[in-house]
Amino acid sequence: MPEAPAPSRSEAQERVDGIHSFRDELARLADEGILRLDAAQQAAVQNHHEHLLAEFAALFDVDRDSRAKQLSLGMRVASFLGALALAASVFFLFYQFWGHFAETAQVGILIASSFASFGLTMWLQRRDATGYFTKLAALVAFACFVLNITMLGQIFNITPSDKALLPWAAMAFLLAYTCDLRLLLAAGICCVIAYVQARLGTWHGVYWLHAGERPENFFPVAALLFVFPLLVAHRRFPGFAPIYRVFGLLCLFLPMLILSHWASGSYIDLDADLIEGGYQVAGFVASALVIWLGARRGWPETVNTGIVFFVIFLYTKYYQWWWEIMPKYLFFLVVGLTAVLILLILKRLRQTFHAPAGEGGP
Amino acid sequence: MKTWSRGRTLGVGIGLIVLTNAIALGGVWWNRSSTPESALTLSERELGLPWRSLRLMENSGLALNLNLRVAGRQAGEFAGGQMVNGGMPEWLDAAKMAALGFPVDAARADGERPQNARQLPREVILVMELAGPAWQRALEKARESAGRHAAAAAANVGNKQFADRAKQANDELAREENLNSRLFVIDAGLDARLLREKYPDRSRFLLLRGTVRPVTHSRGDGAHQASGYVSRVGNGQVHVPHALRGPLESAPAIGEPGSGGLRFSAELLVGRRLEPWLIGVTPLAKDIN
Repeated sequence: MPEAPAPSRSEAQERVDGIHSFRDELARLADEGILRLDAAQQAAVQNHHEHLLAEFAALFDVDRDSRAKQLSLGMRVASFLGALALAASVFFLFYQFWGHFAETAQVGILIASSFASFGLTMWLQRRDATGYFTKLAALVAFACFVLNITMLGQIFNITPSDKALLPWAAMAFLLAYTCDLRLLLAAGICCVIAYVQARLGTWHGVYWLHAGERPENFFPVAALLFVFPLLVAHRRFPGFAPIYRVFGLLCLFLPMLILSHWASGSYIDLDADLIEGGYQVAGFVASALVIWLGARRGWPETVNTGIVFFVIFLYTKYYQWWWEIMPKYLFFLVVGLTAVLILLILKRLRQTFHAPAGEGGP
Repeated sequence: MKTWSRGRTLGVGIGLIVLTNAIALGGVWWNRSSTPESALTLSERELGLPWRSLRLMENSGLALNLNLRVAGRQAGEFAGGQMVNGGMPEWLDAAKMAALGFPVDAARADGERPQNARQLPREVILVMELAGPAWQRALEKARESAGRHAAAAAANVGNKQFADRAKQANDELAREENLNSRLFVIDAGLDARLLREKYPDRSRFLLLRGTVRPVTHSRGDGAHQASGYVSRVGNGQVHVPHALRGPLESAPAIGEPGSGGLRFSAELLVGRRLEPWLIGVTPLAKDIN
């Protein structure tokens, strides 16, 4: 039997959480007299779990109890803020001093900083069981690489190009998948979104920096991002698939929301009212479908995103229809009653599916 | 999804950094490796120093602002309709816009409001002329305006309004003669080779990438006409190499409060990718006061 691959940090944490839930439930079942393991079974399970917990703690410094979990949340926040601050510091440090060096030295420093920060990240990843310092180093490595390419453009007056987004995306994905970092996954996805919509705009003859002024350019990348985790399994990276789906949905709903109020941004050469009305209807239908799909597949982030946009589409319509003509107490009463109605519908939907919370898809 | 081994990840990361830098620097080499596409001697009028208060803050790099002008459609009272860093040139009409790839509705071009306002900017190649007829016309207009207002002031001695207008027109003439950029956007196209055949003098005509945004121009008689707005040109700035920074390091910019401005001449080359670079900056003896 082949040896199972070592788990990722997320998988290890999921297993630890599962062990704690199992122990709690087993204790309840024993209290209620439903199930009681004999001494040998108890010892075997206990030993196995202790062995796993010790192994995961040594490998990843996982949270072994709820107190550790609370503390690690604080560490995650500190690590996130620190990573952003360090990345900004690298940018400003270079800007502060780069003018004092000749071009050869400037290029050398930029390339060396990319290599050094990437190497440091790889080195830290082997030694940092907590992962927080790796996250700091990875974001600095990404910032150094972005700075590297941006500054080469400035030093040599290179024409700005959307093609720079491709290596940035590649570096962000490499660091994200290597170090299990959702922040860098989001950065990579943003680069892909910007590149795909810029390319679509360019194919229509538009200068790439203005391609975002046609919100429909975001629809293909929305589909790509939403479908990607279905095509490529992310079992070792449990938090990644929801991020792809949320960004995919943002690329769908935000352009729809804009076009439902600004027909001039559309490629469609029809009457403005028709375009705006069409996108309003499409927004309602799409968000309702997304809620249904998310509930059916057990994707909580998909359901939540769908609900948020359904409510935004609904309330913006309410505002357009009734804000001017209704007394304010009546307007807010209608808004409140609508919220109650949505709650009732969602409750019904939940009863229909009986879907367990958590990751349902690949 | 399988994870890569540490060695493979390291190799891919290093390869990515090397490849990306090689492509960027290879492009720079290729741009500069043949006879320059354009080679102009510009002055502080066309390559403006940023103000020292902005220059010395958090960024130690130095770049000169490329000041271009467009002879616009609507002549102002003093400036003669010359717009700095963008505008609607006379020559950018419906036919030229169509040649640049903008779908211009010919049936509506001279009648109803055209639909081109919904279109977005496209990248084109702009032709800029240094101290050519366009600048001569601007200078002539400024002189004519100064002469007209001086005559009006002389005919209305003691009238403050006429005196102020005459002074303003005179100041504008002085700016046109000494300070304003002489670099005018005079044409645009999609093929650099064809444009160079049309404008063969490489020391007078500068070719750079820029953008044109479609706009609707009102002719004043209620009719609308498709036109274009020249906006972004290149990076808008030209980086000053470290070796050339010396004379510019702490020099004041033109128009900076409380000082004159450094006069200099700068050799600007443009390569085959239409990316510019500076090869020389020479301070001139006389500062602007």
